[in-house]
Amino acid sequence: MGDRERLDAWFLGEVLPLEPALMRFLRRNWRNDSDVADLRQELYVRLYDAARTALPLQTRPFVFTAARNLLISHARRARVVSIEVVADLEALDVMADSVTPERNVEARDELRRLQAGLDRLPPRCREVVMLRRIAGLSQKEAAAQMGVSEDTVEKQMVYGMRALIDFMLGGSGRLRRSGVADKTKRGRV
Amino acid sequence: MSAAARIEDQAAHWLLRREAPGWTAEDDRALDRWLDEATAHRVAYLRLSAGWARVDRLAALRGPDVVVATLPPARPRSIWRPGAIAAALVLTLLAGGAVGGGWLIQGRNVHATEVGGHTIVPLADGSRIELNTDSRVRAVIDEEKRLVWLEKGEAFFDVAHDGRPFVVRAGDRRIVVLGTKFSVRRDGRKVLVSVLEGRVRVEPLGQAPGAPPVLVTGGDRVIAEARSTLVATRSADRVAADLAWRRGLLIFDQTSLRDAAVEFNRYNRRKIVITDPKVAEIRIGGSFDAENLDAFARLLNDGFDLTVEAEGDVFRISE
Repeated sequence: MGDRERLDAWFLGEVLPLEPALMRFLRRNWRNDSDVADLRQELYVRLYDAARTALPLQTRPFVFTAARNLLISHARRARVVSIEVVADLEALDVMADSVTPERNVEARDELRRLQAGLDRLPPRCREVVMLRRIAGLSQKEAAAQMGVSEDTVEKQMVYGMRALIDFMLGGSGRLRRSGVADKTKRGRV
Repeated sequence: MSAAARIEDQAAHWLLRREAPGWTAEDDRALDRWLDEATAHRVAYLRLSAGWARVDRLAALRGPDVVVATLPPARPRSIWRPGAIAAALVLTLLAGGAVGGGWLIQGRNVHATEVGGHTIVPLADGSRIELNTDSRVRAVIDEEKRLVWLEKGEAFFDVAHDGRPFVVRAGDRRIVVLGTKFSVRRDGRKVLVSVLEGRVRVEPLGQAPGAPPVLVTGGDRVIAEARSTLVATRSADRVAADLAWRRGLLIFDQTSLRDAAVEFNRYNRRKIVITDPKVAEIRIGGSFDAENLDAFARLLNDGFDLTVEAEGDVFRISE
């Protein structure tokens, strides 16, 4: 295996499964919920870059320690954040999060979660995802069926994909964005 | 939108384009370039592709009743437009299929095996797919076509004669079946096709220049990677060896220990590790039980005087 493959395999196999726990950790320790998705992405970049030199022996403590350090550096940069917040973060014991084993999620639970994730999507976005993924229609066929442009189908798919994955991995499934999901004008094919 | 959200949006677009028809080798290179541009691109793409594969697997597990319950009803206002009548028909078909049971399950499905797994999947049209270790296929069968994606690993296809074309997509190759028994294996970007009976046509997907379609008949094998396509004719022995996994065997002939280790490691959670390049070059032959690592290790010890140290899930082999 090349270095790149080994890094990717580590990220996919060891870091991503921690995302539900990681999201809980970030939300618990950061007051502004709408920053959390960006913090997660920034953390992933840091983790991946740090692992280029050497893969950590134990991924879990590595991830949570890096998460805490990221929160501290953000808290320091934000001028409005009080000094107590930084001190609290510095005193934060990541051990509890570092040793909790992953709960074994059964396929049935996951299915229920997927269903819940689908139900949370805006109606038209859900329709696109259902037609494309479940009924197996192509982008063009889905656009024809719904009477919208292919471009709209693609935008809805992108939103649906991101929101579903976010929800499945322990996020809220509601993405901040410029309102594509609700406001796209209906185009005629 | 934040920078991170914008990158995630781009990653999602790449992912969708990649699985759509018309994806070319040039697109593949463009994606690689985008991934190499920034770690933020790579981690966003890795995360989405893993999450999406999971959504897909789950979607395939769902019963048809759940699926139809969530499909929104056809909008009455669109009924008078010609395209919408077809749309309404599709929805009726979905609903009717659910009542009849299993239509969607047969219409689109995902099958996978774990490391060491081996399973036979009957398709709705009477064809059979035999899945080797650590493999995944997705199948769509409808009135007009039979389409199977080999997403990873290796599979043997026994295709039922039928008016509808049967097409297998593997990486950047498409295998068009002309009534036959054959196997397809994906190994990184390499695609290996071994034909037992009948004929298939192996075509590049998209417009990869310099890779013309090739016809392959029983006893032939094709090794395709990027723009090159190598056809080995009259290699029935090699084809038989390629297909030995169906009987749980690995057949080696003048195979380096390095390659043999790679083969064994596909089937077992315990892995063979060879660090010494001299040892890795030793050639071996014979047929072996794919899952009996202990027997193989003993043979190496007895036959070649090599030292085998078992350490957790690793077999370390040295002089």
